[in-house]
Amino acid sequence: MKERLEALLNKIESFEIKAIEQTEQFRLQFLSKKGELNDLFEEFKSIPNEYKREIGQKLNVLKNKAQEKFDEANNKFSSDKLKNTKSEIELTLPSEVDFAGSRHPLAIVENEIVEIFKRLGFVYEDGPEIEDDWHNFSALNFPENHPARDMQDTFFIAEEIALRTHTSSVQVRLMENQNPPIRAIMPGRVYRNEAISARANCFFHQIEGIYIDEKVSFADLKQTLFYFVQQLFGNDINVRFRPSYFPFTEPSAEMDISCLLCKGKGCNVCKYTGWLEILGCGMIDPNVLKASNIDPEKYTGFAFGMGIERIAMLKFEVKDLRTYFSNDTRFLKQFESI
Amino acid sequence: MKISYNWLQEFIGTEKTVEEISKLLTGCGLEVEDIAHYHSIPGGLEGIVIGEVLSAEPHANADKLKVCKVNIGLAEPKHIVCGASNVAAGQKVLVATVGAKVHPTAGEPFEIKKAKIRGELSEGMICAEDELSLGQSHEGILILPAHYEVGKPAAQYFDIYTDHILEIGLTANRGDAASHYGVARDLKALGLNLTLPALPSLSLPNATPVSISIMPESGGLRYSGLLIKNLQIAPSPNWLQHKLKAIGIHPINNVVDITNYMLHTWGQPLHAFDASAIANGNIIVRKAIAGEKFITLDAVERTLKGFECVIADSEKPLALAGLFGGLNSGIQANTKDVFLESAWFDAGTIRKAAKAHGLHTDAGFRFERGTDPNSTLPVLIRAAALIVEIAGGETASSIIDIYPHAEPHREIWFNPKKNNALIGKEIPEETLLQILEGLEITVSQKTNEEWHLLVPPYRVDVTRSIDITEEILRIYGLNQIEMGHEIKSAMTFSNSENSRAIKERMCNWLSHNGFLEIATNSLSKVSYYSEAQLEHAVKLLNPLSQDLEVMRLDFRFSILEAIQYNNNRKNQDLKIFEVGKTYHKNGAAEKLDSYHEQKHMVLAMYGRKYPEAWNQPKTEFTFFSLKGIIEQLLQHIGITGLQFAYETDERFDSAVQILVKKQLIGSFGPLNQKDCKSFDIDKPLWYADLNLEIITKIAAERKFKLKPVSVFPAVRRDLSLELDQTVTYLQLEKIALKTAPNLLKAINVFDVYQGDKIAAGKKSYALSFILQDEEKTLTDQEIEGVMQNLIQNLAKETGANLRG
Repeated sequence: MKERLEALLNKIESFEIKAIEQTEQFRLQFLSKKGELNDLFEEFKSIPNEYKREIGQKLNVLKNKAQEKFDEANNKFSSDKLKNTKSEIELTLPSEVDFAGSRHPLAIVENEIVEIFKRLGFVYEDGPEIEDDWHNFSALNFPENHPARDMQDTFFIAEEIALRTHTSSVQVRLMENQNPPIRAIMPGRVYRNEAISARANCFFHQIEGIYIDEKVSFADLKQTLFYFVQQLFGNDINVRFRPSYFPFTEPSAEMDISCLLCKGKGCNVCKYTGWLEILGCGMIDPNVLKASNIDPEKYTGFAFGMGIERIAMLKFEVKDLRTYFSNDTRFLKQFESI
Repeated sequence: MKISYNWLQEFIGTEKTVEEISKLLTGCGLEVEDIAHYHSIPGGLEGIVIGEVLSAEPHANADKLKVCKVNIGLAEPKHIVCGASNVAAGQKVLVATVGAKVHPTAGEPFEIKKAKIRGELSEGMICAEDELSLGQSHEGILILPAHYEVGKPAAQYFDIYTDHILEIGLTANRGDAASHYGVARDLKALGLNLTLPALPSLSLPNATPVSISIMPESGGLRYSGLLIKNLQIAPSPNWLQHKLKAIGIHPINNVVDITNYMLHTWGQPLHAFDASAIANGNIIVRKAIAGEKFITLDAVERTLKGFECVIADSEKPLALAGLFGGLNSGIQANTKDVFLESAWFDAGTIRKAAKAHGLHTDAGFRFERGTDPNSTLPVLIRAAALIVEIAGGETASSIIDIYPHAEPHREIWFNPKKNNALIGKEIPEETLLQILEGLEITVSQKTNEEWHLLVPPYRVDVTRSIDITEEILRIYGLNQIEMGHEIKSAMTFSNSENSRAIKERMCNWLSHNGFLEIATNSLSKVSYYSEAQLEHAVKLLNPLSQDLEVMRLDFRFSILEAIQYNNNRKNQDLKIFEVGKTYHKNGAAEKLDSYHEQKHMVLAMYGRKYPEAWNQPKTEFTFFSLKGIIEQLLQHIGITGLQFAYETDERFDSAVQILVKKQLIGSFGPLNQKDCKSFDIDKPLWYADLNLEIITKIAAERKFKLKPVSVFPAVRRDLSLELDQTVTYLQLEKIALKTAPNLLKAINVFDVYQGDKIAAGKKSYALSFILQDEEKTLTDQEIEGVMQNLIQNLAKETGANLRG
């Protein structure tokens, strides 16, 4: 066996590869399934065990040598192929590049949400961030001296003036200035007096939606929101509604979607419930309609609100809220493709 | 709010698992956020068994270790390496088997693994007290009584109380559910059985050694009380301590524990006074006197504001009603006589006091949300009976109950048809009635259209027919309302859409041209601004920190912060933009229209123009890079014909104002070096601040008009001019346009030269001119004529000379 190995080594070393055709010949003769190396490997199986170690090592060295020789030749002739083209250009150099730009992930998500509701006929509306107590609380049925006021830690500017704690204040402005039907989607920045951490920030972004008309029902609310999450997350999304409490809606609910990661089976992300909280909603409280001079006997409506950061976190698997506002270009550049 | 599954089961029986119960609760509005397993001994000694040490031989390779053979009731004894000095053959010990999770008194739980310790196999651990949270001792392993049976789970021999604790995110409207009974009541509404323990009989002497009075407008609405004498203050029995500890309440003594137990069982807060502290046997529920001093149980002296409700005797306050007892009347170890209070207070009064004094107590939590006026008496009786049973003593008064205005059931007219229309489903009448009954809401009268309903006073949040609809829906089940295939819509219009569309168009153009959109905080530092600027600042009364005290007055600091952040991380070469607001105050702080928010679009360019590459020049951004971007960006939304003015602006080292029809729409230039330096930026930062409101308004008013493409050819002529250094391109452009207003279609500079090939104080501009007539082909003669005029006018007005 040893002698045959020596002989083969000589053969491989003396094989001259001068053109691309010979590389193929070399491969067939030595490296292919029916090649000489493979024959030796077959024979190797039947030699006595005490020789296996020594012979095996030699066999491997030989095989590597053959492979190296083949690769080298192959590379040489492939680059020759490139040189054979008519142009003088070195085609493998890196391309001409420019900086990649991107929208901010929160803008991307905001746009996506606004666009989905636009398809349903919602219009975009806007409102101020500095608000009075009336638009942010009183007109939204937050009673004075009620624990509901504790639900949102507020930054005050004066006794009756604050940074809005939710985009629901825009609802009030719309209802004051328009007659039903009112159907709008209202994104914006809101503020809460909360210590900054991975899960909370002193400002964030919400999207509020309302629909006020004759005979708007809770079933309409469910249908609209179901369509929305299917458009946003895909048709295989399930939803669940849970009763909740917001001063400005009655009945109030929270909508959960089936966990995007485990599809409802239960995992780390959904805390093993199979569900992810996504938005709050409800039928607009008659007191809220009355406060803006809309007749609650004639009109009903629904409202919903969601945090854009939260949805972006789910979509992009962002773990820390602060990442959005660090403005690290290595983070932002990744959204070029979205 | 923590709710114990065991405790709940006392009301509703045991047929449902904790998961089933939690699903039901979440479904009806009491969201279960977490279910935790509770063991009075952490880990519940799971995987820990009784073992007998058969032998304990010295370890060959370690002086302090012993190799033990331990019988744990299996066919083969286990080899365990043990470091305790007191281990010896014949002992009964606690053995943590392989795979068991051990919960030490201090430190994180860990799992027992099969291991080799200095060459000897070890298949478990013989435990000390502190290794299993059984105590603090680490004086060797715990040696058990000889009669403990080998192989039995250790849990059998220790008093381990286990439970499941539901963490319920109680919403602010559901004070009625702030107890185990309250939660059980919702389960009853969902169809489960609810059994109440019988009201104990209490022998009561016919005596009133304590007199109670409620002053009008005090916030006290009902006050029930009872005197118990000669009791013994002591630690509570184990069952009570376990129950309280399981929901996170630290046991104190029997009387206080019983009041806490009652609160969490029934939702009725109680207070126990040391009766010897009550002067003259008078309990007076009154308003605090402004300035009155009072020391609460936490030994903090508080100055009362005057709106609080206090429980007082004829001399002094004894308690801040519904919130906190007084140090002067608390239960002491030697207390013998106790006056027990069970009251109902006005929710708003309690809340105001709680906020004013920063007191968040379990009692206050319930009173703020509204308690049941009808629970004061039964809970008082239950508590008194339990105190007598556990702490001894005897009742020494009749029940004194002051209730000036009994709270009636609330009356609501309810229309089932409207209810169903709002829900969007025909729920049958029988179902509606069944749900109402489960909620203890009675139908007293029915007309054709409406039902007259009586709602028990404990449901403080149910006052209107819409609240009845909510109750019905939450019990019926939100998920029982089917979703159809149609979505109701309506025609609506908005004035804001156009400006959003324009803004989006601009943002998208920038991002397609290599700009990254950033988002920065609109709260910023006072130190960025001058005194004069701060007069117009929107300042927070309650900021999180000094760094976030004012609303941003100028965008540049947000941008500088972002660039500094990236610079520090070697993310150099930046093209960034942001859309956001600045905030100003002009006028009285209390008036909303004093506040102005203005939308901006800001752009910044910094560093190299292209990413480093073999085929890109290494040039950096210049003033003209930014100028070009601004022109193209505005052109993209139809704004052309920009004018530039060159005014001084403290933000820039040299500022250019952008105007459209004399209206200022923004400024740009190199940001001033002083600001840049203070953010460690040492290269020029090209910065533009655009007024997005005006820009979107101008763009919205523009009308797109298609121009026909001329069929006649355009010609180009170039001039190379030698100029004085002071002559500007703008002058040349104006002269050219004036000279050939109709034929000159475009003018451009294709070379600028200054240097030794030209006289000192001079420069050379090479200009190209595109000439075209819309009506005919220009002749050479005509072109020559225009060019001669141009040369003449340029020479006349600027002294320009043609270069050879």
